[in-house]
Amino acid sequence: MILRSLECRFLTIALCDAAEPWQLGSQDAATPMMQGIIDLHHDIFFFLILILVFVSRMLVRALWHFNEQTNPIPQRIVHGTTIEIIRTIFPSVIPLFIAIPSFALLYSMDGVLVDPAITIKAIGHQWYRTYEYSDYNSSDEQSLTFDSYTIPEDDPELGQSRLLEVDNRVVVPVKTHLRMIVTPADVPHSWAVPSSGVKCDAVPGRSNLTSISVQREGVYYGQCSEICGTNHAFTPIVVEAVTLKDYADWVSNQLILQTN
Amino acid sequence: MAAEAKTPSLAEEYSLPPQEVAVEKAAEEKPSSGTETEAAPSTNDEAPPSVEDKNETSEVQDTAEKSEAEETNTAAEETPAAEEASETTEEEEAEKPEIKIETAPADFRFPTTNQTRHCFTRYVEYHRCVAAKGEDAPECDKFAKYYRSLCPGEWVDRWNEQRENGTFPGPL
Repeated sequence: MILRSLECRFLTIALCDAAEPWQLGSQDAATPMMQGIIDLHHDIFFFLILILVFVSRMLVRALWHFNEQTNPIPQRIVHGTTIEIIRTIFPSVIPLFIAIPSFALLYSMDGVLVDPAITIKAIGHQWYRTYEYSDYNSSDEQSLTFDSYTIPEDDPELGQSRLLEVDNRVVVPVKTHLRMIVTPADVPHSWAVPSSGVKCDAVPGRSNLTSISVQREGVYYGQCSEICGTNHAFTPIVVEAVTLKDYADWVSNQLILQTN
Repeated sequence: MAAEAKTPSLAEEYSLPPQEVAVEKAAEEKPSSGTETEAAPSTNDEAPPSVEDKNETSEVQDTAEKSEAEETNTAAEETPAAEEASETTEEEEAEKPEIKIETAPADFRFPTTNQTRHCFTRYVEYHRCVAAKGEDAPECDKFAKYYRSLCPGEWVDRWNEQRENGTFPGPL
């Protein structure tokens, strides 16, 4: 099992777009935001390891040298201005180095930067999701909307992931700015797709926006990330990214299906 | 040409205009045909001012729609988004409805994650526009498009019901 997880990490044949057993790292990035998150994680880990090594060294050295056997009479130093200044200033500089890229990423995530091309509404229900593609409506009547239910545990086909697959996937075009409007109809839910670097809470009576721009075609899996009731674990999210041309085909096919 | 007609609003200044490129190119190509050179600028001047909220590229869209109607191929293929869609629709135009990749633009009144007000404001704007210009006014269509894109269907249904009952809480 661990071997398989390592295989997923290092011997990448297909990119990792779904949760793996024993997974330790992130899934592979499909959007610039996720790439940014992974890069930030690695940047911060650099400082983390520096601190870990330094603190471990101090701790081990203190334990090694200053114990009852080697040093029975303890020194009584109670004050040291220089060391106190250093150990106050220096640790407060480190969070600054972490904060600057972190805030840059955070603000680039929720900023209104470009006009989106498509708006998709993900509406959480107990316990399924409704997706509304309302850009093609000509009246208040919904023209393209569908429910997305999980494939039950005893019913998956060969190759489908257990409790991750749904009957109707969200189809999105690649390399297009998407506006996801996330809202529930009953209790709080959360729309999360790890490969896209998106986790957006759905709060009753409020509609939240999150922007994604998927960079490669593929099928991306996510799960409900806000405890929403008994079947919380059975409310997965599947995003299928296709080319813009295929997306247009899919939309027109769906429109024909739903109007007839 | 569109920018000289009136000073652009904040949203116009800072948003990336994919539509304007298409319009300019379409306008540049028009003199070669020679027949309707003045078509695009004249529609600009005649374009009636929309409701009090004019921060969208209203006349740009008007001209875009006009020029698309006149020469569908050139205007549609200029925009990168519409290019793909038009390819598919040209093949099977008879049976398949045309897919226009277009949605409500980013609005600088609502720059945050919370878009509840964005949806509500667009809904109110549409109904104020209809109240001012009358039903079927073409300049209100874009507001309808915006609120339909932004609002969950359930909310729209509820608000429609409230308007019928006269209990809608917004300034109509």
